[in-house]
Amino acid sequence: MKQETTLVFDQQLYEAQVLQKAAYRAMSSLTVDIACADGKFSCVLSSNIGVEEPSFLLAVQEFKKDVIDYQLRYQLNIETLPIKNLILGLAFSKTGLISE
Amino acid sequence: MSKFQKLDFYAQQRPYELLPFKFDRLNDCEYVITNMAGEYHILPMPVLEPLISRTLPLTSELIPTLRSKQFIRFPEEEAPLQLLALKIRTRLSRLAQFTNLHIFVVTLRCDHSCPYCQVSRQSESRDEFDMTSEMADRSLDFVFMSPNPAIKIEFQGGEPLLNFEMVKYIVLEAEKRNLKEGRDLQFVIATTLSLLTDEMLVFCKQHHIVLSSSLDGPMNLHNANRPRPGRDSHQRFEEGLTKARAALGYDQVSALMTTTDKSLPHVRAIIDEYLRLGFDGIFLRTLSPYGFAIKTKKFLSYDTERWLDFYKEGLEYIIKLNKSGIRFVEQYSSLVLAKMLTSTDPGFVDLMNPAGAGIAAIVFNYDGSVYASDESRMLAEMGDHTFRLGNILEQSYEEIILSDQLLDALEDSFTLSSPMCSDCAFEPFCGSEPVYHHAMHKDPVGRKPESSFCKRNMAIFKHLIELMENDEGTKRIFMGWANRC
Repeated sequence: MKQETTLVFDQQLYEAQVLQKAAYRAMSSLTVDIACADGKFSCVLSSNIGVEEPSFLLAVQEFKKDVIDYQLRYQLNIETLPIKNLILGLAFSKTGLISE
Repeated sequence: MSKFQKLDFYAQQRPYELLPFKFDRLNDCEYVITNMAGEYHILPMPVLEPLISRTLPLTSELIPTLRSKQFIRFPEEEAPLQLLALKIRTRLSRLAQFTNLHIFVVTLRCDHSCPYCQVSRQSESRDEFDMTSEMADRSLDFVFMSPNPAIKIEFQGGEPLLNFEMVKYIVLEAEKRNLKEGRDLQFVIATTLSLLTDEMLVFCKQHHIVLSSSLDGPMNLHNANRPRPGRDSHQRFEEGLTKARAALGYDQVSALMTTTDKSLPHVRAIIDEYLRLGFDGIFLRTLSPYGFAIKTKKFLSYDTERWLDFYKEGLEYIIKLNKSGIRFVEQYSSLVLAKMLTSTDPGFVDLMNPAGAGIAAIVFNYDGSVYASDESRMLAEMGDHTFRLGNILEQSYEEIILSDQLLDALEDSFTLSSPMCSDCAFEPFCGSEPVYHHAMHKDPVGRKPESSFCKRNMAIFKHLIELMENDEGTKRIFMGWANRC
């Protein structure tokens, strides 16, 4: 039987790409329809064919954890992007592959 | 009176800065974090958020470790950036050297009829499946176009010994060309050893040719997995091994195993057979989704979970052996551990990013086709020519190496820009495997949440880390394996 549940996330606290990434990661157990209205993201989680209730509930729990993880990754990536580019620049500027 | 300032004077007053890193849940209580160069550290779950929010107290005992592994730095510190850049450059240095491994499929004929054969072998009599000298010459032209100072030529089949005249021709011709080229030239024959003769061994000895063979386990299992007329595959292997070791040297013959559904309950017996025959390691390999492995449904005969149980049981046994004083290595783990614990990349094609297809290894098929990898030609034997880069008789080196088939696959599958991989803490240890994902999902990136490659490797990475975290003795053994590659 198809399982379904809806989760709501505040747009001020979560990025759309965070929900998209968590939805992608969960695709082997469930699919997610994401919509936004009134400052909220609504995520409708539906079990894949053949996924039973206990596995679905576990996947929903994993989805919630992944949303928190991806939001933290988003924050980390924003903060460290300039220095990441600097390090990559340093790494590839001394390869000797490009003639002066 | 001391000439030094008090300790408080040197204490860091300003907050730390974050350096780029990735994280993933290791289990219900811990995260794995990896820096840009692939060094990892384990953090208790409640610490991650304060670390990223920069509220971790400077007095925390984690601060020195996180700083020394370049997860954080203090403002204005330049050394962490230089160190990370150096380690990244070291890790990727293999790329600049370009293709090392050149695989010559000298024949598709084989005396075995293994149901899991991944290359769709042909019967012994069908010599239309043999490489010609014209194709060999053109392939050698290609080989010596590679800028790599080290060139390895590996003969594969079918059974390459069924076309040994071509093996000899290629070896002699390559050596002749190498007088001028001066490369570090190595030869390997991948063979079952069943057709090995004394004359062949004399030639191998003269030309320093190494043999890479196949051993699936004890006699019953090996013969069931590798049928041939006479049902004597194991006996021939053992006889060939003894002869080859005597002629070439004990360590000049290696063996690989493939896991079938019949192997699954017998991992200890398989390892014991490798020990009995004097090998110092085993590569616990899963089946690949190519060739007869698909046609005979062998590939579907067990799932990833069951293979992981097999692998973990085998690894536990091997660790026990090492602790009892028997030095023995699980080779896939040792490749992964080299990526986890050192700054070098062992260059294993399946675990490379960008993918090793074409740029680490390339295949010259018996019919003149050039493929991006061994798996690519296996796919082609099933009628899928996606990774056929061209034909050695028709296209130049530049046309083949710069072909869209190769460059698109490398670019599209690059893990640092692939969904899920780009955020994955285990990405530095992993590879992109476009051919596998194309075979399974008809897409070089694949859908990683549904990928058994991803599931298998993530489980292995986590398992290896947990084993090291939980036991100092195991960590010491693994450090030895990592530095062996």
